[in-house]
Amino acid sequence: MSGVAIQRGSRAELGIADTFAMAGRNIHRLLRAPDQVVFTLVSPILFTLLFRYVFGGAIRGLGSINYVNYLIPGIAVQTAIFTSSNSGFALADDRGNGFLDRLRSLPMARSAVLIGRVLTDTVSNATGLVIIVCVGLAVGFRPHSVPGLVVGFGVLLAFVLATSFLFALVGLYASSSQAVNAATFPVIFPLTFASSAFVPTSTMPSWLRAFANHQPVTTVINAVRDLTLGNVSVAQRHQLFAGQSTSALVVQSLLWTAGIGVVFGYLALRRYNSTNL
Amino acid sequence: MEQAIAGGIRPEGTGATAATRPGAAVVVDSLVKTFKGDVRALDGVSFEIPTGTVLGLLGPNGAGKTTAVHVLTTLLRPDSGHASVAGIDVLANPEEARKHMGLAGQFAAVDEGLTGMENLVLVGRLNHLPRAERRRRAIELLEQFDLADSGGRLLKTYSGGMRRRLDLAAALVARPPVLFLDEPTTGLDPRSRIDLWAVIAGLVADGTTLLLTTQYLEEADRLANRICVIDHGRVIAEGTAAELKSRLGGTTVEVVLPDNPTAARALAALQGVGDGDPVLDGLAVRIATTTGLATTSELVRRLEGAGLDVSSLQLRQPSLDEVFLSLTGQDPHADEDEGEPVERRRRRRGVKSGKEAP
Repeated sequence: MSGVAIQRGSRAELGIADTFAMAGRNIHRLLRAPDQVVFTLVSPILFTLLFRYVFGGAIRGLGSINYVNYLIPGIAVQTAIFTSSNSGFALADDRGNGFLDRLRSLPMARSAVLIGRVLTDTVSNATGLVIIVCVGLAVGFRPHSVPGLVVGFGVLLAFVLATSFLFALVGLYASSSQAVNAATFPVIFPLTFASSAFVPTSTMPSWLRAFANHQPVTTVINAVRDLTLGNVSVAQRHQLFAGQSTSALVVQSLLWTAGIGVVFGYLALRRYNSTNL
Repeated sequence: MEQAIAGGIRPEGTGATAATRPGAAVVVDSLVKTFKGDVRALDGVSFEIPTGTVLGLLGPNGAGKTTAVHVLTTLLRPDSGHASVAGIDVLANPEEARKHMGLAGQFAAVDEGLTGMENLVLVGRLNHLPRAERRRRAIELLEQFDLADSGGRLLKTYSGGMRRRLDLAAALVARPPVLFLDEPTTGLDPRSRIDLWAVIAGLVADGTTLLLTTQYLEEADRLANRICVIDHGRVIAEGTAAELKSRLGGTTVEVVLPDNPTAARALAALQGVGDGDPVLDGLAVRIATTTGLATTSELVRRLEGAGLDVSSLQLRQPSLDEVFLSLTGQDPHADEDEGEPVERRRRRRGVKSGKEAP
C-alpha cells in the first residue's frame, strides 16, 4: 500500500464521504462566487416583474385566481430547471481542463463526482427558490399555506435533481461549456414556455395545448401551483389542471422525476465511467 | 516509502496476472488502441520499468505517449494487450491499481476555483487520508514545492510554473509508489522547467518509480535511467541516453562560414574529419563524431591551415529531430496530427493555450 495511513470503511461509507467531499468542493467554489447565484436570478426576477405588471393584465382563463399566485410557481419551476443545467456547465469545464482525469485516476468512488455535482445544484436551487418566493411575496404572491408551499417546492427540488442528471450527461459529451449552452437552451426554452408556466394551456392552439398538457414541466408546475394555491375549486381544477386531483398531479410529477432521474442518472454515470471520456 | 514499494509489488494475490513481473513496477505488454477513424494510437507497445527507476517515454505529438499513460492510469481501456502498475493488473483491477499511482499531466489538472491548500486537502480527502493527515501532508507538499507562501491563494492567480508544481504535488499526496508524469514541462518557460526538473530529480532520489513522457531529449536525458522512443504507437528504440546517442552518431560539430565560396572551401578542407563525410547545408558544414573535442580541435587546425574565417562554431548533442530522422527517416513534426482524435486534442489544447499564460 501507499506510504500514508488511510481511512478504513466500507465501500458505501467511503463513497458517501467522497460525495460529500465533491459537494463540499462545489459549494466552496459557489460561496466564493456568490455573484453567479445572484446573476442567474436576475432574469427570473425581471420575468416576474414583466409578467406581473406588463402582461399579467391581459392574461385570460384564470377565473377568480389572482395572476401573481398563478405566475410564481411557473417562474420557480422555470428558474429551477435553468439552474439545474449548471451541472452540465460545471462538468464540461472540469472535463475540458483535465480535472476529471485527475479525479478518475484517484481511488475514489466514481459516482461521487456526479452525485456531488447534482446535490450542489439542488442546494443552490433551494437557495434560489427562497429568493424567488421573497420577490414573489413583495409583488403580491400569497401562498395558501406554508406546508403547501414547502411540499410543492420539495416536489420541485426532487424534479430538478433529476433534470440535473440530464444536463450532467450533456456536459459529459459537450466539447465545452459554450456547447452545453447551445445544446440545452433549445431544449429548456420550449419545455418551459410551451407549458402552463405563464398562461393557462387552455388559451393555446390545440396542437400546442396537446404538447403542453402532456409534457413533464407542465405536470410539475401544476403540482406546485395546486399545492401553493390551495382550495382550488372543481371548476378551476377543470380549467387549470384538466380536472386532475392534487395527489394525481404530485404522483405524476414524482413518476416523471423518478423516470428522468433513473434513466439519465444511469446514462451519466455510465458515460463518466466509460474509459473513453 | 521502501516498505510501500515492496508492499506494492507483491499484493495479496489480487490482480496478479500474466501482466505482472517481479521487480517491475510498471509492465506494458503489446498494447493496442485504435481511436475513431482508424487511428492506431498504440500499435503493440511493450515496455517495463524496474522498481525505483525512471523511464523516459520520448516521442513527437501523437506518437501515443499520452494514450499509453491513460491506459496505465485506468482512464482508457486498450483494445488488446496487458498492463500492470505496482504488480496490479490495471485492466482487471483498476480500482486497486489507482491506490498505487499518481498522475500529473501536461494540462495541470487542478481546480482553478480553490486555493493551493484546498486543492491538496481535497485530493487527500479523496485518497481517504485521515483529516489531520490531509492538512499535514498538504502543508508539507506546499513547502517542498516552494509554494508555502501561495498556499492560501486561488489557483487562478498562479503562474504556469506554480500550477504545474501544484499539479505535481497533488499527484504525490498519497505518496504513490508509481508516478506518471505526462509532459510535465511542456509549455513552461526555461526557468520553471529547470525548477521542476530539480523537484522531479528529488522524487526519483526518494525511490519513486517514474514514467515520464516528453518531447524533449534533454529532459529524458536528465531525468531518465532508460529511454523508450515511440512513434506511431510503436516502440522504435530503447536504451540508456548514452546508448541512444551513440546510435545516433553521438555529437555534431557545426561550423558556419561567412559566404558560399568559403563554405565550399571549408567542406573540401574538412574531408576525413570526424565520422563519415562532412555535410554542407547552406553556409553550415556539419560533422558527426563520437569524440567531440578531438574532432573540434582537428577542425580548427584544418580551417586555420586553409586560412578560412568562420562565423560560428558549435559542438552539440543530437536534437530530437535528429533522433527521429535517424530512427524513422522522417521529420518528427510532419505527423503531428495523428494519434489521439483531433476533436479531443483540439478541446484539450484549446483549454491549455487559454490558461497557460501566466
